[in-house]
Amino acid sequence: MTHYLHYKDPNSPEMIGRLKELPKCPGVCFFIDLINSTNIKYKTEVVDWGRKLNNTFNFISFLNDFPDNVVKGIGDEIMLYIPDEELGKKSVYKDYFSILLELYATLDNIKNFPGDDDFLKCKVGIHYCTDVYNISFFQDAHDYYGRDIDLTARLMSKTVENRIVMSEKFYQKVKHDVSQYPDDQGKHVFEMISEKYIEDFKGVPKSTEFRVINV
Amino acid sequence: MEINEITDGDVRILELNGRLDSANYVVLENKMQELVTAGVKNTLINCKNLDYISSSGLRIFLIYLKKYNSFDGKLYLCCLQEMVDEIFKISNFKSIFRIFDTKQEALKELK
Repeated sequence: MTHYLHYKDPNSPEMIGRLKELPKCPGVCFFIDLINSTNIKYKTEVVDWGRKLNNTFNFISFLNDFPDNVVKGIGDEIMLYIPDEELGKKSVYKDYFSILLELYATLDNIKNFPGDDDFLKCKVGIHYCTDVYNISFFQDAHDYYGRDIDLTARLMSKTVENRIVMSEKFYQKVKHDVSQYPDDQGKHVFEMISEKYIEDFKGVPKSTEFRVINV
Repeated sequence: MEINEITDGDVRILELNGRLDSANYVVLENKMQELVTAGVKNTLINCKNLDYISSSGLRIFLIYLKKYNSFDGKLYLCCLQEMVDEIFKISNFKSIFRIFDTKQEALKELK
């Protein structure tokens, strides 16, 4: 449930009280950014780039049972959030590894689709969030705020076309899930995940560990 | 997901039953690879009982469409349910696959 906050009094005791009581909403946050979307706006008309944006956003959100989890679009980038409490209720994915598998397949399908008239290539940043709150400051809007949301956004600086960048926290969730899978289901994708990298991101006090998978 | 395999002349028909997603796409992948390795050139995937297909499932379809095209084989689909048909439309897979309403129409083209 989104907690709507809108107080004209900057020091509203009610606001302070609600903020103190806000429950966290752990889950998976990911950003999907469309590649070259600015470039094509200068090279083509809206009939062309608008169509590609439509097609790509549909491809991403509908096919993976994500429509309810699209939080917002920020230009050519969309933010999605899957709270843990919803994860088990989804039809397409039931754990963190299946989210990764579906995202991998999405990027792979777009990358390998014959011709390049229909879709734009993508890049993805994904993080398992614990410091996160389901808040909105705008009525009827739906959003998430917290340190881990900002970190997910920072991961995008490491993404390039056809790459998924995941935080070490998310990777560990995936690794645990993989151990529960029978046989070789999807394990070739897991084995493609890189070694761990460590970097400092602006505004984040501690170094961040992450891994990448190139489609 | 279960796969029923039927041979009709030189056409191999795979009937998919259930859902095709990240939990079981390997089942179809293994079966398709088996057919390719055995030299099967004409394959019909009957989707009459396929309830849902996710990106993982679509990926297998795309991989094997390309393989079949590489050796001038035919990989056709038939009997898509409404949900799967919509997924194929949104993904524009309808433009790259030959899809038939009935098995009979598909077999007529394959033979």
